[in-house]
Amino acid sequence: MMPGFGMQPQIILLKEGTDTSQGKAQLISNINACMAVVDTVRTTLGPRGMDKLIYNDRGQVTISNDGATIMKLLEIVHPAAKSLVDVSLAQDAEVGDGTTSVVILAGEFLKEAKPFVEEGVHPRSIIKAFRIASQLAVQKVRDLSVSLEGKSDEEKRSLLKKCAMTTLNSKLVSGEKEFFAQMVVDAVSKLDPHTLDLKMIGIKKVTGGGLRDSFLVDGVAFKKTFSYAGFEQQPKSFVNPKILLLNIELELKAEKENAEIRLDDPAMYQSIVDAEWNIIYDKLAKCVASGASIVLSRLAIGDLATQYFADRGIFCAGRVEAGDIDRVQKATGARTQTTVNNLDVTALGTCERFEEKQVGAERYNLFMGCPQARTATIVLRGGSEQFIDEADRSLHDAIMIVRRALKHAEVVPGGGAIEMEVSKALREVALTHTSKSQLFIKAYAKALEVIPRQLCNNAGFDATDVLNQLRQKHAVADGSGRNIGVDVNTGGVVDTYAAFVWEPSLVKINALQSATEAACLILSVDETVRNPKSEVPDAMSGAGAAAAMGGGRGRGRGGMGGRGGRGMRR
Amino acid sequence: MAPGMGLPYGLQAMLKEGHKHFAGVDEAVVRNIEACKNLAQIVRTSLGPNGMNKMVINHLERLFVTSDASTIVTELEVNHPAAKLLVHAAKAQEAEIGDGTNLVLTLGGELMANAEGLLRDGLHTAEIADGYAKAAAKALEVLESLVLDGTKEIDIRNRELVAARIKGAISSKINGYEDMLAKLVADACIEVMPKNPVNFNVDNVRVVKIPGGGLPDSSVIKGMVLRRDTEGTVKSAADAKVAVYSQGVDTSSTDTKGTVLIRNAEELENYSKTEESKLEEYIKAIADAGVKVVVSGSAIGEMAMHFIEKYGMMALRIPSKFELLRLCKATGATARSTFGAPSPEELGFAKHIGTQEIGGAICVVLQQDASLGAISTVVLRGSTEGFLDDVERAVNDGVNAVKSLGRDARVVPGGGAAELEMSRQLGEWGKKLTGLEQYAIKKFAEAFEVVPRTLAENSGLNATDVVSALVAAHAQGQAKVGVDIETGVPRDLAQDNITDLFSTKWWAVKLAADAAVTVLRVDQIIMSKQAGGPKPRGPGGDDD
Repeated sequence: MMPGFGMQPQIILLKEGTDTSQGKAQLISNINACMAVVDTVRTTLGPRGMDKLIYNDRGQVTISNDGATIMKLLEIVHPAAKSLVDVSLAQDAEVGDGTTSVVILAGEFLKEAKPFVEEGVHPRSIIKAFRIASQLAVQKVRDLSVSLEGKSDEEKRSLLKKCAMTTLNSKLVSGEKEFFAQMVVDAVSKLDPHTLDLKMIGIKKVTGGGLRDSFLVDGVAFKKTFSYAGFEQQPKSFVNPKILLLNIELELKAEKENAEIRLDDPAMYQSIVDAEWNIIYDKLAKCVASGASIVLSRLAIGDLATQYFADRGIFCAGRVEAGDIDRVQKATGARTQTTVNNLDVTALGTCERFEEKQVGAERYNLFMGCPQARTATIVLRGGSEQFIDEADRSLHDAIMIVRRALKHAEVVPGGGAIEMEVSKALREVALTHTSKSQLFIKAYAKALEVIPRQLCNNAGFDATDVLNQLRQKHAVADGSGRNIGVDVNTGGVVDTYAAFVWEPSLVKINALQSATEAACLILSVDETVRNPKSEVPDAMSGAGAAAAMGGGRGRGRGGMGGRGGRGMRR
Repeated sequence: MAPGMGLPYGLQAMLKEGHKHFAGVDEAVVRNIEACKNLAQIVRTSLGPNGMNKMVINHLERLFVTSDASTIVTELEVNHPAAKLLVHAAKAQEAEIGDGTNLVLTLGGELMANAEGLLRDGLHTAEIADGYAKAAAKALEVLESLVLDGTKEIDIRNRELVAARIKGAISSKINGYEDMLAKLVADACIEVMPKNPVNFNVDNVRVVKIPGGGLPDSSVIKGMVLRRDTEGTVKSAADAKVAVYSQGVDTSSTDTKGTVLIRNAEELENYSKTEESKLEEYIKAIADAGVKVVVSGSAIGEMAMHFIEKYGMMALRIPSKFELLRLCKATGATARSTFGAPSPEELGFAKHIGTQEIGGAICVVLQQDASLGAISTVVLRGSTEGFLDDVERAVNDGVNAVKSLGRDARVVPGGGAAELEMSRQLGEWGKKLTGLEQYAIKKFAEAFEVVPRTLAENSGLNATDVVSALVAAHAQGQAKVGVDIETGVPRDLAQDNITDLFSTKWWAVKLAADAAVTVLRVDQIIMSKQAGGPKPRGPGGDDD
């Protein structure tokens, strides 16, 4: 500071309570925070990865192996580490799998960058080199990927199954991966090939039974809704039924809340009561007149209606969930009606077979063989609730992967093989650089090795040993070893392409791009300013969230030179 | 300590207790300078393509990761009155040009810092302020002479040319992707460029951010993109008439609580029937008017939806008032505030409207002929929200740059070359003046060196070496030589299309100088006691 200033009170520039930190220490602490987050998900990678049990403040328990799910539940508050959550969720939305890989990769890039930052390298130099490296890596993945185009449908299906199996490998249901992979491929192939709308695959969870009792419905299935007396008299199976979807209540009830009836003549009373009955009977009659044999409604179907329908051999279900109605609509070609007046025959849908079936302790309504069958439902069975929940997430990942593989039919060998090969290629490229970027590209290449290393660690193998074997295989000049990856079953190395450990190349490309972007974003921050929070009645950004971060509280604060002149005074 | 502090006479006695009062060079002027310097120091490291990002968490706990100076200072909540002046100057730049805010802050800060030295040498603030004002006028003159030849006219519809001109504005925010982004922005802007480029409206270029994928997956869509699905099953319509309702599309209900009085059974039975048929009548009337797309500003009733479906119309819900307004603008529709059949002049027209999947998200895309109020949308893809926000700011800067291009296409050499040349010429001019302002002009000239120096520093180069090499080059008459942030070697960057818009520079220099002069002319700060209110939180109470 200038001489003669010592006595002056300090100058306030920012609002009181503002917390700023800048410089190298701030960057290092951001990196450290990210590393702490990465460490929590690190062990979930791969077929031998462990699961995490997350217990939230509402007492809900989630057991998961899915990177995105864990990251979401961790409720991270650290601003830098938050971006890791973002990449994980973005990966989930974009490709559905590889959510753990992307976080681990981003963390590893930062870890490799850390020593350089500590030595005083300008982060911009690192960022630039990382971006170059990422472009090269993506290009390399594209070069190495094997296209599935031009194969016969039969072949394609078995290839897709392989992809699904690789994904399921790392999940809780890996024991039944073949069974589920087949199911997933079947389900996805039911979808409209143009949109492959994920919402059109329903997953229903029924506790009880074994995993193998799960089954795929070629159409829509939903749990039997609450029903009134008379329901049991209704027929429970139809062939080629006409289906009517409604969005009205078939119940005796006030027509309108704000309507009031005033009578001068007590004799009129009976006529009003009759009128009410007439209204409902009129509605029911119209439903029947439409020729429908199945009536579903999003709103309640009362006991009167239930019996009325039962008498006429019609099946009905009220309070069906909106998503299910939507899928029935899509599958059967019916249009949901909000009124029964002027019912149009074209508004009815149909399917080949309808039946009500006992699944475990529940009864299920199944619509099968739909004409516009662009939908499928997987009914999952399994021991505990958490187990089924996790199986649901696993299947979701597998479905996403198959969808992606269908759209971009290119695969790369998994098991860390592609990472090793890209790493090798990058090292070679690095040597052609004369500037500082040589070091950073090498660091990027080294960071890629984290995937096979972590696979080994999680499987309980000697990572160093396996990694050296892999390096040796990939270094063979004739390229014969380029598909060699970690064999998690034996602890050795294996040609993962031949072993059908495949992943869609899109997953890898997206993971590399996102991880690099996230790492660069964190590296490019040189100052953190936290304004005091405006007064909120209940300030609950909570200690719980802070605790969830483990030891990762490391926002650099204080202790940085050159800031003395900017203190607080009011 | 200044005399008079703490004694109950003079100003102290005049003003209410609790006020603060600073006067004189040491207390007021130097203090102000210090504050401005500090502010400049924060944003300085964000200058240029290699500038670093700042992570700012604002009072609503929202996270910003950006190197855009105007965003940083907006979210910083600067409190100091003098520093605020500088912030206002930056805001003015943002409003005027939309880019170059960092230059205003950095240059302003440097001007203040240099003024401090002059004050110490015993110059009066008035002399410094006068000198600065003169120097600023001269600098702008010099700047005008630096305009690159042949840049006055530009074909604003030429994608390559436009992209080359705005690259500078974008590269300072998102380095590494500037070529790609500049082309995207150029495409989007040219798409909506009116016949007279001066009338270019930045609002016609929209940005939609969809997380996922990578930035190279971004694209330009001709038309308006709404991030939502249609309500019904009709997913696309072409050459469609559009009816827009700012209120919900539903049976109208009164705000006043009313009761329907039913007197006999017949009325009861017909009650809902009449309601239904009334609604159908309305919707049929809409359909009869030739409408294919119904847009609602709020909910679409289930019953209404039923009939809209029945008549095969597409239904779209746009809850955002602004989006609705833009849609009206794009289609030429007038939003009706009441439900009912629209008159022909209220109807809008859409060349094509339909759903499209963009990176996993279903969006409604409205495409329009250029003659009918064109809108183009830049769809940005990226891994994190923070990153996307930052790219959006870069795109906005780029769009603003295109707007400025339409008004004034002149460019000056970039990479600090223009600043250094101004510095050199100003310095020489200053020497010829008699009078004390000579000192101030000299310092003003020196202040320009902050730009190449900061560019070099931010790129991890040795700033002193770079600047001295540049000064040497300029002294030899190489007026276009600037910092090459890759190598640090002085080079004519204009050849690589690294240029800055003349108007951006002109305003930045002017605003920075104005702000500096204003701050320097202050010799007293009087702060009255803050009005009561909630007690500020103590350091211990911070939940952090």
